[in-house]
Amino acid sequence: MDEAKEAVFEEARDYTGAKLGMWLFILSELLLFGGMFILYSGYRYKNPADFHHASRELEVVLGTLNTIILLTSSLSVATSIAAIQKGQRKLSMVLLMATMALGLLFLANKGFEWGTKIEHGIYPNSPTLLARSKGEILFFGLYYVMTGLHGLHVLVGVCVFSVMLILIAKGTLNQMRFVPLENAGLYWHLVDIIWIFLYPLFYLIT
Amino acid sequence: MENREVKIHPVKYRTYVFVWMGLVILTGLTYTVAVGIHPAGWAIFVALAIAGTKSGLVLNYFMHLKSERLVIFKVIIPLVMAVFLVFILLTFSDVAFRGVVK
Repeated sequence: MDEAKEAVFEEARDYTGAKLGMWLFILSELLLFGGMFILYSGYRYKNPADFHHASRELEVVLGTLNTIILLTSSLSVATSIAAIQKGQRKLSMVLLMATMALGLLFLANKGFEWGTKIEHGIYPNSPTLLARSKGEILFFGLYYVMTGLHGLHVLVGVCVFSVMLILIAKGTLNQMRFVPLENAGLYWHLVDIIWIFLYPLFYLIT
Repeated sequence: MENREVKIHPVKYRTYVFVWMGLVILTGLTYTVAVGIHPAGWAIFVALAIAGTKSGLVLNYFMHLKSERLVIFKVIIPLVMAVFLVFILLTFSDVAFRGVVK
């Protein structure tokens, strides 16, 4: 086997391994958020009325808008990967930039939402919040921790995509070699899935 | 077998757009229908069922689980969900009966 063929073989083997590794990471992330979802369900079960009241104070329209933004960003990163696989490098880069822009827009909305709440004196351990019922304190605590950790994931995703963008621009990632971009996409979809559950659980409590 | 990365058939853009449209419609459904359901106890189940369907779409189409050939990719998600279900059941059997069983 000559050197070139050996290199190809190595890459072929690496493909499944790299993706499997990414999936294992994703599963550990699911369990990380899963723990918080269990905490949420336990507290909501114990304080249904408080959770309902507190939830009504969240901006449903903004939450729905952010859901659409994140779903659209999932579409753009999926098509960006398909584009690089088809050899359409420029299209892939444009779609990746669109994904990053949507991610930042999501964070801007989230920041605005948090900002309004904080302005009203509702933030962890604030005197206004502590004066409220136990269930509402728990709701907002979970709200800040879960959407905060999720937002952190969005930020990390945008950073990872910016590295991918440079790699595509330099030609390191191309039609033949795109697994890092595919894995970054998997991570982004995971972030999307978590938000798919956060949205009804925080914004739409009846 | 020489280079698997090249042999992958990219998904059609159209397929992704259709999936995205489905996701947006389901989001609208959660927003409008699920909230109005009575009794309220059922609303959470409908909302979670819709969220589960949306995750299924993302996992199968955007994350390509549907077209994965290796069995391991097909079983890991149900496996983790099963583990998660055990955690939930154990936690709830504790929370729900606290103060009832002495």
